[in-house]
Amino acid sequence: MQHTSRRLVSTATKLNASNSISPSSLSFFPPKEALKPPADSFEKDAFLPTDWAAVQPTPSTALNAFAHRIGLASIFKDTDVIRQACTHESYLPLFRKHHPGKALPKTNKQLAALGNSLMGMFATEWVNGRYPHLPTRVMKSVVTAHVGPPTCESVAREMGASPLLRWHRTPASETEPPVLHADAMASIPRSLTALIYQERSLHVARKFVHAYFISRQVDLRSMLKFTNPKTTLIELTKKFGRETPKSRLLSETGRFSNSPVFVVGIYSGADKLGEGFGASLKMAEYRAAEDSLHRVYLTRRPDDMLQLPTSTFPTGLGDIFQKGPEADYTAPEPVPDSEVLYYSADRSARR
Amino acid sequence: MHTTRPLSFVATISRSAPKYRRPRPGTAERPPYRAGDPLVGNPKAKVTKLVEGAPELGQPELTFIHRPPPSAPSPFSLTTSPASPLLVPKNDSTTTRLPPLIRPIKSVHSEQTASGAGAASSMPPRMSDADLEKLQELRRSDPFKYSRAKLAEMFNCTPAFVGMVAPLTKSQCKSTHKVLGEKHERSRDKWSEKHSIVMAIRKKRKELW
Repeated sequence: MQHTSRRLVSTATKLNASNSISPSSLSFFPPKEALKPPADSFEKDAFLPTDWAAVQPTPSTALNAFAHRIGLASIFKDTDVIRQACTHESYLPLFRKHHPGKALPKTNKQLAALGNSLMGMFATEWVNGRYPHLPTRVMKSVVTAHVGPPTCESVAREMGASPLLRWHRTPASETEPPVLHADAMASIPRSLTALIYQERSLHVARKFVHAYFISRQVDLRSMLKFTNPKTTLIELTKKFGRETPKSRLLSETGRFSNSPVFVVGIYSGADKLGEGFGASLKMAEYRAAEDSLHRVYLTRRPDDMLQLPTSTFPTGLGDIFQKGPEADYTAPEPVPDSEVLYYSADRSARR
Repeated sequence: MHTTRPLSFVATISRSAPKYRRPRPGTAERPPYRAGDPLVGNPKAKVTKLVEGAPELGQPELTFIHRPPPSAPSPFSLTTSPASPLLVPKNDSTTTRLPPLIRPIKSVHSEQTASGAGAASSMPPRMSDADLEKLQELRRSDPFKYSRAKLAEMFNCTPAFVGMVAPLTKSQCKSTHKVLGEKHERSRDKWSEKHSIVMAIRKKRKELW
């Protein structure tokens, strides 16, 4: 019972969020197809109000308001461009069914693909510049957290693009995955990024992505997990050419009581790599190894020293392949390779 | 016949008068625990005398004692000032006294003890080629009889070393793990319910380390 009521609520919310049809945009209401068809008519399909509402064009006032809301009214003067950005390709079969004679609307498929690549590039260069020692798999997770599909969907909802989205729920086929509301919504910010890149420049698109996506807080510490932090630390110290790490007891209390506390430090020679506490020596050692790895991997470059490679693209309007004035950029000093990959006799790099 | 010597009598009373009451027999009565002042005699406490004072004139002295909390150092680290010594050029300083090792290094020879010296001094000598070949042959012949621990004991090396120099093939690994897994499963079935609960709790705790 709870499941069905929750589903009804979500369906009702989606219906409410879907295009609110303004009477000014309709020439005739109620639509002819809603009225009872004559007995000898060819059309036997039942009239679905939800489908009819989904097929109605979005009023340009709503699109204009959206452009102003996200602060890009100066770029998107033509509302058709925003309409294209909010039209998912799953909408075409529905449109063709209801308006067989009309020209198909433009969809955001190519724009979304271009925008996705741009967003990935901006996020990757920023994460890599900010955390130069982060392992590759963690860097990828952080990039996904910043510009991945769930974040894009969140941002689209926060922007208020839900009533403007034109899409149609498509079940999974043999060749294509299913199209859900989240997938369709996620295509909107990607298309907007691509449009800004096309209308203005790469730098403006980067500014947009930084404002809406890179500014979001992501917890890195929870993404750093190790199957065996002690062996990882041993490999890491070998890479840096230091002595093998050794665990030393810094302090302890209540060893033979029911609540002991041990503080263990891991030392490479005389240098303390990390410290950890625990209810047992093993636990404290484990946490000390994790702390040592965190101190290396979570080393952050200060924001004023951050240099983004996309600054080398020309700043003015126009093609990025033409020479133009570039922003200031100093290549950062190469950092030592601190990524640990485990190899075994019969398989390739596995973490 | 008593000699009246009041002073000596008082001294006897003060010397023999106990501080705490006699504990009731059959109980575990103990004197109440009174923690010492952590600021007194603490090596990490920074003592600053603010007012010298004159106790004989009734002016008390004023001392400010700052003891920083014994919390864990922050792992917050910047590239300009990294928290890890690995990212900083190495400085050779052997003068500092280091805390004791958790597990003392197992020394091969009796004269070498774990005195904080480098690991190289207490590592066993390099294995000869003949010994190595013999080790590999034994492991290949019967991985169950000649386990890593047994071979490590026979040839005076670590089980990790045996696993490195005489690894099993993937199929051998699978079959060995299967057999041992079944053996461990049988021992786990023999556990009492209480023991099973305790082991499950320990396993869960380890996940949350």
